[in-house]
Amino acid sequence: MREPLGAGLTALALVFVPLSFMAFGGSNAVLPDIAHQTVAVHGWMSGREFADFFALSRAAPGPGSMLTALIGWKVAGLAGALVATIGLYLPSAVLVYAMARLWGRWRGRAWHDAVERGVAPIAAGLLLSAGIAVLRASPGGVPTWLAAIAAAAILLRWPRLPPIALIAAGGALFGAVAALYQ
Amino acid sequence: MRHEAETEPRPGERPGAPPAPPGLTGIFLAFLKLGCTSFGGGTAGWLYRDIVLRRGWVDNRAFLSMLSVGQALPGANGIKATVQIGQHLRGAAGAAIALLGLLSGPFVIILAVGAVYRGLGTHPLVQAVLDGMAAAAIGLTFDTGLRSALHGARKPAAIAVTVATVLCVGVLRWPMFPVILGLAPLSIGAALVERRPQPDA
Repeated sequence: MREPLGAGLTALALVFVPLSFMAFGGSNAVLPDIAHQTVAVHGWMSGREFADFFALSRAAPGPGSMLTALIGWKVAGLAGALVATIGLYLPSAVLVYAMARLWGRWRGRAWHDAVERGVAPIAAGLLLSAGIAVLRASPGGVPTWLAAIAAAAILLRWPRLPPIALIAAGGALFGAVAALYQ
Repeated sequence: MRHEAETEPRPGERPGAPPAPPGLTGIFLAFLKLGCTSFGGGTAGWLYRDIVLRRGWVDNRAFLSMLSVGQALPGANGIKATVQIGQHLRGAAGAAIALLGLLSGPFVIILAVGAVYRGLGTHPLVQAVLDGMAAAAIGLTFDTGLRSALHGARKPAAIAVTVATVLCVGVLRWPMFPVILGLAPLSIGAALVERRPQPDA
């Protein structure tokens, strides 16, 4: 798996920098492509590792997810973690810095409103696709699918439930079932 | 004199005019703390509570405007709001320092978590726990997606675009870039057309 450091870092940048410009709906929206690139195209990790990294990054604090740091670290150590994280976050941050005031000045125009409302349904579709992509990568099978749907239903019913509590409950439930069957 | 002192505007009360903007160190420390304590995503909500309500560095209206500007641009909402708050407080240096502060804590924490995972990750019980955590986190992602889909679902075109995105990216596993490139003009065009009749009605 170990590539030369320079090649690994270049590959990471080539994966994450373009995705930075596609993250409509947040960094989770680009999970479908991250999963595809890291597991299928580059073979950097198994689907299980990807799903594990996803779970850990959602349980840890921080904006969006630090999944990208874990992937970079797996591919090329600390330098990889830095390149992947900077690659995913910096380009869109620079874009916001450059565009924010200009964009605000255009408020009220018909096309401005249309862009904001036109991007939203794509972002929603990408987030739903992200859930499907991680489910596909995960080796958990039917129990994972059912638990994911149940978790979504619980959150839709009780929106104020802290996400971290739900993640902890999911881990405890699966852990308890596994312990009973061992 | 006493009376005058009391009527002085407190931070955050005057739109766009916080009396003394915090220094770069203050900005860094505030965002470092935010990064390390905002669990479960939704960093924008944590930013609102700390930067707007508690510290009063940005007023309510400016913050909402920042969030709304971010909607049409790619990137995590928390990051986009952080960059704009930093920019608002101290220009380019403020934006850079705020972003660095927000990301550096979680970066170190996740690598520590990753190191523990490397030691324990293959244990069957740990794997079961991680499967359960992943399932819940996937549910969380579905919830966010469903919420934003339902939010715009008053228009049939928006539903069609969401369904098409899920089909292409989620089900057929097409690369995102061509899908976004193909659907964005349709979706924006539909929003533009739907907008037209409203002023007449």
